Amino acid sequence: MAMLVDFEIIERARSGDSAAFNQVVQAYRKRILGTIARLIGRPEDVEDVGQEVFLRLYDSLDQLRTAEVFEPWLYRLTVNAAYDYLRRQRRRQESRMSDLTEQQVMLADAAAGGKRDVEDQHRTRVRELVQSLLGRVSEEDRILLMLKEVEGLSLKELEKIYRVNENALKVRLFRARQRVLKAFEAEGLDRASLEREGSGS
Amino acid sequence: MDRMPANGNDGKLDALFAQYRAVFPDPEASANFMPGLWQRIETRRSANVNVFRRLAQVCVGATVALTILMGMVLIPRFEKMPVYSASYVDVLENDHPNTYVDIFKGDIK
Repeated sequence: MAMLVDFEIIERARSGDSAAFNQVVQAYRKRILGTIARLIGRPEDVEDVGQEVFLRLYDSLDQLRTAEVFEPWLYRLTVNAAYDYLRRQRRRQESRMSDLTEQQVMLADAAAGGKRDVEDQHRTRVRELVQSLLGRVSEEDRILLMLKEVEGLSLKELEKIYRVNENALKVRLFRARQRVLKAFEAEGLDRASLEREGSGS
Repeated sequence: MDRMPANGNDGKLDALFAQYRAVFPDPEASANFMPGLWQRIETRRSANVNVFRRLAQVCVGATVALTILMGMVLIPRFEKMPVYSASYVDVLENDHPNTYVDIFKGDIK
């Protein structure tokens, strides 16, 4: 990860300079919103979670020890906000799904699917498949796996974000990936090959 | 990651993650992002100020109530206490009448 603002601007934001804080947000918001989008998988809620991240940043900026640790700090806030969102979402989903019969859910999906064009459908299928595979692991492991596999963060970077030693991270990542891989082999491969056939024809 | 050599399915899973990455490119924030953020910051800030104001009001109220209570308990007690019109020497003299003189006289004998 490359720093997107000078340390001096972060220092100024840390000392309460609103203009400097605006500069920091403007520099990082695209990257953070992208990460959030991929972590939570719901484009409609990305800005809300993004604002929550920068709100937490504003509240805790004075606790930042040095500007050098700013990025891991920001990523930690992002991870926490995404985690809170996913937990809330899971609770909400459980109560919502219990109100609908399976047939109603399928009908709703079909109706929504009919309106989308082919590319949209492809995006939705990839999104749903990955979300379903990641549903096999805990929210914490899901986020960790996404940061590693999708965001492409290195173990060193993850170590700084999680403040956990590299070996512990490796073990967690390995186990999470194995579970996702098992689920992928069980259901995802069929869907993925169907998807390829569908997009090929 | 330091991973074991990928088998076929590992590679397919990696490809799926890469597809997922492509499905969600970094989005541009809407025009409402910054105003919305500052509105939330201001709301949080004023909520914190309100909490402190409420806390201060509670503290002041409790202090006033405690002062009144202490006054109600202590003032009647002070009022009931005996008032001495005699001096300290008079009180001593009343408590020990001529003792010192008697002892002194006894020593001479």
